Amino acid sequence: MIATAPSDVTPVWLTDRNTNELVDAELWHGIVDRNLADWEAEWIPDLQRRLKLLNQQKVERRFWPQSRHWDWRDKLREIERRLANLSFAIVAQDMTQAMMTIDLTKRARMPGHDGQHLVYIDFLEAAPWNRNDLAEEPARFGGCGLILINAAIQQSILEGFKGRIGLHSLPQANSFYANACGMTDLGQDATYENLRYFELDPDSARSFIEKGKGE
Amino acid sequence: MTFDINKTWCRNAGTREDGLDIGAGVIAADPMFTHEGGADESPEASRLALGRFINLMRRNQGLSIEALAGKADIEIGELLSLENNASHLPDVRTLYQLSEVFGVSQEKLMGLSGLTHANDDDYVEEAVRYAAKSASVEVLSEDEHAILNGLISVLSENAKHK
Amino acid sequence: MSKKTMTLNLTEAEMAVLEELCDKKDLSKTVLLRQALRLYQRVEERLEKGDKLFFEDEASKEKAEIMML
Repeated sequence: MIATAPSDVTPVWLTDRNTNELVDAELWHGIVDRNLADWEAEWIPDLQRRLKLLNQQKVERRFWPQSRHWDWRDKLREIERRLANLSFAIVAQDMTQAMMTIDLTKRARMPGHDGQHLVYIDFLEAAPWNRNDLAEEPARFGGCGLILINAAIQQSILEGFKGRIGLHSLPQANSFYANACGMTDLGQDATYENLRYFELDPDSARSFIEKGKGE
Repeated sequence: MTFDINKTWCRNAGTREDGLDIGAGVIAADPMFTHEGGADESPEASRLALGRFINLMRRNQGLSIEALAGKADIEIGELLSLENNASHLPDVRTLYQLSEVFGVSQEKLMGLSGLTHANDDDYVEEAVRYAAKSASVEVLSEDEHAILNGLISVLSENAKHK
Repeated sequence: MSKKTMTLNLTEAEMAVLEELCDKKDLSKTVLLRQALRLYQRVEERLEKGDKLFFEDEASKEKAEIMML
């Protein structure tokens, strides 16, 4: 059974791209049934509508978002009983804004850290209306990605993995992981659909969560 | 155990993330909407009718399997199975894409596939009847055109059923 | 999430291996044992599905099956 309530809730804030104001949000520790209902009832129809616009605008399919085939209910069903997997969701204005699942059994590849445990991000996705790769409509809320990466790092510290995280980036997000997150690009991974593999070492992880924290 | 993420950090995060996409994870490993399954007890006859309909529509538009898969943005294997294998349970997205390309009701295609159970399922029976009249030949014959037209009218959004 | 505590009795040899692994992986004993449990559960899940567990030599591509009874 997929849980009906998150095990914990961390208060966070997203940036409303229209007003540039912060809005109250919550980081849910654990994707629950509510989030999957939002995905089914709101994300999918909105994604289809945006794909239709891309198609009408004759945007080539190779530029369409690669995550358009993802099935979050399937992903959750697969990991719901596994100790090695955790999930997170960001909720704002009574709606799921982004989701992430992580795996605690993978190991680092970066020279000097190879073989050490890390938090591997299996999947990370923002709601269609928070994305820039879908038609011309501007993203509604900003900050989801960095908040989820922050969560992955803090979970890694909690697990004793020193903040190490790793992930395979979707092609349109390479710049986010390299530049905004400061992760090390370990190149294309032939065993993983040629996606680029990124890793964050303990020092970079520490500066990631400290950077911009203020006083 | 909650995390320590403060407001100032979030404000900076919003600025740093502006204009960037954030997706991570494997692309093709999981076909969409498989959770809609579970209706495999549905009659194979209606799924045969669905396969027949797609086959006729495709040939009527002069498209190869590959070309239709490209046009509808679906996997070639999925389309092949859909046309030729009545025990194959298609996914919702495939039917959505095909309904868009063919201009027919997604809901009714879902009903035919057995993914959903329609309240009014007269159209399923009618579609099966039309499909049963068709025979597999290379070129679309005049009869097949008539059958196809019948199927289209049955599967259209606004079709009235007895 | 609430946590439960248990006492674990290990032989000297087992404790030595645990400490060696903790040292090598730079992990605490609790963390290492939790990690072992996660992996055990994952392996069991795959075996139940009928999968086999192999180690592959990266250079020679030789596979050695680990017997799980």
